[in-house]
Amino acid sequence: MRASVNQKLTELGERERLKELLRAKLTECGWKDQMKAHCKEVIKEKGLEHVTVEDLMVEITPKGRALVPDSVKKELLHRIRAFLAQHAT
Amino acid sequence: MEDMPLSGPDNTKLEALVHDIYSELVEDACLGLCFEVHRAVKQGHFFLDETDQESMKEFEIVDQPGVDIFGQVYNQWKNKECECPNCKRLIAASRFAPHLEKCLGMGRNSSRIASRRLATNNNMNKSESDQEDNDDLNDNDWSYGAEKKAKKRKADKNQNSPRRSKSLKHKNGDLGSITSEPYKYNYNTGISYETLGPDEVRSLLTTQCGVISEHTKKMCTRSQRCPQHTDEQRRAVRLFLLGPSASSLPDADAVVESDNFELPDGQTLMSRLQWEDSPDISPTDSASSKASTNHSDSRKPKKKRTSLGLNSGGGSLTGGCSSSSGSSQNNINLSTKKKRPKLSAPSISRT
Repeated sequence: MRASVNQKLTELGERERLKELLRAKLTECGWKDQMKAHCKEVIKEKGLEHVTVEDLMVEITPKGRALVPDSVKKELLHRIRAFLAQHAT
Repeated sequence: MEDMPLSGPDNTKLEALVHDIYSELVEDACLGLCFEVHRAVKQGHFFLDETDQESMKEFEIVDQPGVDIFGQVYNQWKNKECECPNCKRLIAASRFAPHLEKCLGMGRNSSRIASRRLATNNNMNKSESDQEDNDDLNDNDWSYGAEKKAKKRKADKNQNSPRRSKSLKHKNGDLGSITSEPYKYNYNTGISYETLGPDEVRSLLTTQCGVISEHTKKMCTRSQRCPQHTDEQRRAVRLFLLGPSASSLPDADAVVESDNFELPDGQTLMSRLQWEDSPDISPTDSASSKASTNHSDSRKPKKKRTSLGLNSGGGSLTGGCSSSSGSSQNNINLSTKKKRPKLSAPSISRT
C-alpha cells in the first residue's frame, strides 16, 4: 500500500506541491535563517576548507526536524491526510 | 473528525504513513538547505556579509530611546533657528521657507500682500516707532498692522490671502479684549514720549492719536480718530508735548472746538491761528496727490468740507475715468461712509 500511495503522490504532482509548500512556509517563519546561522557555527567549528555535505547533514537534520514550527507541521499533516483520504484505495 | 475509509486498526497505519510522508518531506527540505549552504561555502560566497568587522560595528542597529535605528534624532531640526540672509533675523526652521518668500518678495502671494499692506499703511500711522521690519508685515503673521486691519477693515478681506482665517481669528480675539487691555498684543505697544525728539513728536502727533496712557506712560499709536480718546485729550497731549506754540493738530474739529477750549496760556490766539493754518498740511498719507487730497478731505467730512471734498474728489477722479457718473457716485459713497480701504482701492487703481 505504501508504494502505491507514494506512487500516486508523485504521479499526481502532489509531492512537488507539498515540497514547495513546506519550503515556502519554512522560509516565511524564519526556520531557514535559523538553520543557516547554525550552519555558520558548524562551519566555523569545522573549518571552512574541510567541511563536507555529510558533516552538514549530520549536524543540521536533527536540529532542523526539531525546529519546524507546530503550525507548519500541522498544516502539512492535514494536507497529507486529505490527499490520502481522497486517493487511497 | 475526518472521514476515514479504512477501519480502526488501519488508522494507526495510516497515521504512521502520514507521518512518514511528512518526515520525508522535512528531510528533503533540510537536505536542500545543506546542499545550498555547502555550495555557497565552497564557492566562497557564504560568509560575504561578515568579512569586515569594522564596518559591521559601524552599521549596527541602534536601539536607544529617542533615536531611530540608524542613530539619528528625528526631530533635531524642530527647534533650530536659521538666520535670514536678507533681514538677518533668526527664524524658526519650519517657518523659514515662507518667511524667505515674503522677505525676498518672490513668492506667489508676497507681492499681493505687499501691495495690500502699502495701501493700508498709507492711511495709518507712519511713525518711526511703529517700524517693524517690512517683512514682518509681509509675513502676514500676526503683527501690529494686521491687528489694525482686522479691527477696522471688516469689509475688505483679501480673497487671495491664504492667511485670511488667521487674521479673522486674531480679530475675534482682539475685539474681545480690546476694552480691557488694548495694548496686550502689541509688542511694540506704544511710544514713550520721553525718548523722542521734538521733530519726531511732531510728526507722530500729526498722524496718530498720541494720548498718553495713564498706566504705561506711552502715547497711543492709533489714528486721529481713535475711539478710546477724545479730541480734548489729544489736544492736551499736544500742548503738553510740544508747547502751546508748536502744536500741529490739523483737525478741523480742533478749529471749531478751540473756541470753547480754555488754554491757561496767553498764547491761545497764536495756537488757534496755527491750527487754522495747518489743515492743508494733510498728514503724509501717500505719494499721490490725488489720493492725499481725497483722504484728507473725505476723512474729515465736516459740514464745511464735504462739498469741497466731493467736488475735488469727483473732479480729480473723473479726469482719469471712462464712466464719470460711476466714479462720482463712488466718491460720494466713499466720502460719506468713511471707509478708508474703499477709498484707497479706487484711487490707486485709477491713478
